[in-house]
Amino acid sequence: MTDKIELAIIVLVLIGIIVSSSTMYYVTTTVGNLSTLTSDVSTLTESVSNLTSTVSDLASITAEGFEGYAEAIAALEARLAAIEAGLAVKETLIVGTTDSVELTLDPAQAYDYFGWCILQQIAGTLVSVKPGSTTGADFVPELAESWNASADLDVWDFTLREGVKFSDGTEFKATHVKYSFDRAIELIPSIPEGAPAGLGYDAIINRTEVLDTYKVRFHLNFPFSPFLGIASCRASAIVNPTYAPIAQVNHTAGDPRASTPVASAGPYVLSEWKRTAGRDVEIKLDANPNYWNLASGYPKINRIIFRFYSDSASLRLAIGAGDIDMAFRHISPTDVLDLEGNPNVKVWWGTGAFVQYLCFQEKRAPFNDTRVRRAVTAALDRKAVCDTVFLNLSKPLYSIVPPGMLGHTEAFQKLGDANYTYTNNTLNDPTIYGGPYNATNKLTFDLWYESSGHYPMSKEQALVYKEALEASGVMTVTLKSADWAGYKTSRDNEIMDAYVYGWYPDYVDPDDYSFLYWASWIHTNYHNATQEALYDQARATTNTTLRAILYAQIDEIAVDQCSVVPLYVSSAWAVTKPNIYGVYLDITQDMRYWLISK
Amino acid sequence: MGLRSYVITRILLTIPTLLLLLTMVFLVMRVLPGDPVALHFEKKATPEQMEQMRSRLGLDKPLWAQYMDYLGGIVDIGYFLEHGYPNLGESMQTFEEVGGQIFSAFPATLELAVYSMIIAAGIGVVLGVISSKSYNSVLDHLIRGFGTVTYAVPIFLLGMIFQLIFGVYLRWLPTGLRLNPAVEPPACVTGLYTIDSLLEGNLFTFFESLKALLLPCLTLGLILSGMFIRMTRTNMLETLRLDFVTAARARGLKESTVTYSYALRNAFLPVLTMMGLQFAILLGGAILTETTFSWPGLGRYVVDRINFRDYTAIQGAIVMFGIFVTLVSLVVDILYAYVDPRIRL
Repeated sequence: MTDKIELAIIVLVLIGIIVSSSTMYYVTTTVGNLSTLTSDVSTLTESVSNLTSTVSDLASITAEGFEGYAEAIAALEARLAAIEAGLAVKETLIVGTTDSVELTLDPAQAYDYFGWCILQQIAGTLVSVKPGSTTGADFVPELAESWNASADLDVWDFTLREGVKFSDGTEFKATHVKYSFDRAIELIPSIPEGAPAGLGYDAIINRTEVLDTYKVRFHLNFPFSPFLGIASCRASAIVNPTYAPIAQVNHTAGDPRASTPVASAGPYVLSEWKRTAGRDVEIKLDANPNYWNLASGYPKINRIIFRFYSDSASLRLAIGAGDIDMAFRHISPTDVLDLEGNPNVKVWWGTGAFVQYLCFQEKRAPFNDTRVRRAVTAALDRKAVCDTVFLNLSKPLYSIVPPGMLGHTEAFQKLGDANYTYTNNTLNDPTIYGGPYNATNKLTFDLWYESSGHYPMSKEQALVYKEALEASGVMTVTLKSADWAGYKTSRDNEIMDAYVYGWYPDYVDPDDYSFLYWASWIHTNYHNATQEALYDQARATTNTTLRAILYAQIDEIAVDQCSVVPLYVSSAWAVTKPNIYGVYLDITQDMRYWLISK
Repeated sequence: MGLRSYVITRILLTIPTLLLLLTMVFLVMRVLPGDPVALHFEKKATPEQMEQMRSRLGLDKPLWAQYMDYLGGIVDIGYFLEHGYPNLGESMQTFEEVGGQIFSAFPATLELAVYSMIIAAGIGVVLGVISSKSYNSVLDHLIRGFGTVTYAVPIFLLGMIFQLIFGVYLRWLPTGLRLNPAVEPPACVTGLYTIDSLLEGNLFTFFESLKALLLPCLTLGLILSGMFIRMTRTNMLETLRLDFVTAARARGLKESTVTYSYALRNAFLPVLTMMGLQFAILLGGAILTETTFSWPGLGRYVVDRINFRDYTAIQGAIVMFGIFVTLVSLVVDILYAYVDPRIRL
């Protein structure tokens, strides 16, 4: 009897669960649908009311002949604009991402991809790179209408666009440009982690001078041809002094991630920014009513909402389930290739600018010998890594400057991939420390990779590198790893024989790549005065042909020295619903949300 | 010992426990390789910039001074009264108040823990009792099998299966996050969306937050239920064989009274302990569940902070976990004393 009662209870509980779940689902769906329907009816009613009024005006025009024609037409146009605006309110783009703003949206401190991405939507810079640019050198006017540089490239003048306003209605003038750059430099000592410190604003800019209300001049400390690149990056966003104190970044102890619009002359305004436990949980952007380029129809979508996912797998599920309109950064190569065959989504492909490279620690023998570094470089197999690890979504890189950019070469092709003949012949030399290296006396060293996901597919890459190096028959490679914190410490302590590192550009110019060969903070202990002189020479000219030659010469020396060896350059991709248009994935790596439409 | 003295003794014992925990975490974090200063500089940094940052983070002080600063902050009553949480210092990575960060993430974790525990306890205890009552029957084997499978299956796998079925294919439920972004979160009173939306009288938001809770709670609840099924079943089987149960039956009591009022009350003690411990662990953040469902709780917070060698944040989180575990243990002990009066003797 008791068993039957228990069975009955189980059945009743199960029925209860099913009925309550179904009820909850249908009630929620119905309430949601009703809410949407009410909103639609409201928009429709408003549109019909406007149309009725328009028809009435038309009748009045007909009745009154052509008197008051211009006035009536203007009234009609205003009503049509109101109808369009009413319909456009419905346009919201929901973007899923695994990114999060690291610290702040103050250009004096922000120095992370997503912080810069949000800043680009809400802030204005003097110039910007043309969407779709293949070289990153096609600068177009933004808050500045025109510019010119002195012959020796150490004085830059900008004529500003008139009538531009910050989102609070404050008029933009040359004094704001001076204030923004002065503030960025002023804050460098107290914000050493900020972008102006990292980019060396204090070293590059001597002073900023206001020539008149709409003209500003930059006096640089040395000739610097990539200055437009600097001026276009988010650290150079123009701030509104009302919200940006001269000696303090925009957050305080009470409200650490205060979302007051420090920089707000962009297409969107930051209408909501919530963080939980140091990570973003909600960001909403709304069209800036004072945006200078509204007349051209930008931004195309009135509201952007960002949803924050913990990893690539969750993001992939969310776009697959239709929870979001767009997934941008980071969906894994496997997932994006899988999604490409899905008719419910559209995959957008673009150029990448993220590069990874192999570093040799010259303090650790035998890597103090260029012959050994060259021999190991020749045995690398970049193609195998790109094929098997990145499923051909990344490309082998033979110059530290990525393809498409001025100064890119194929210099490292000279040593080839898996070029074991060269490797074996070079290492089989008794004058090499510990040599000759051959099948019986193998060159043994540690290859380090980062293990906590800071770089994509690090372990998988390392395994392929190891396999290719050991296939030479004269090397034994031990893989070692550390998480990002430990990896950086090991780098600084110079205890790694060979290690894989990565670079993401601050501005799209070979100037921001070429120095990696000898950058002191990579701690390879490699120095080369000739390369540095060529680099300075390239900085001091706008002659692109000459610059390309100079960067090619730097590459030639790099192949000979093999201190830092380019490995691959990434591609970029975004996944959207099929009804999304206007996604540009160019060499700048910028996502310009104001160009996107539905 | 009276119940009051028992509780006071338990509370006093927590102080040295927490101090020991804090000291260990403080030392272990500093022994781990990895410099929180270097992590502020993604790319370039001069030695001067590094030194400036070291000084800003207070890492230029001797170890004992850092330790004393930290302890001094925690016992700062004025700060506690002003903010509502202890002074756990400033995050070394984001420069936000650690106490504020932890308390902003805690409601999400608490909501997940409470509903998961309800599901786990409901399924676990009911099925455990049924299984023990149907000893060696087909039903018993089925329930034991269910318990083993749910206990053994990896939580992220079950979570992803649910996401695929209910999110991607059926599109009934969201695949992650606490609330649909198109829905305005309720005004924060408790921080628990289900409670706050009800307080606001907003049924739509209530159902939306329930929808978001359903998959993560079901995943976590099912995984935990496996353990409760086995524990309840084993304890019930032992208890049902004891003399007092036979005596109760002999007195002609109804079988359901014997099972639930006599046997289960006795068999429940170890299950209650396990529930308390599990709940305390859940309050520290269900890392895998929170990651799978992009749930912005404490689990994700701690993982993030460890990767950044954010000493103050990790220390703060550990102190809070210590307090959670202590509080829950205290509640369990009091419940124990209530359920079994012998404990108070």
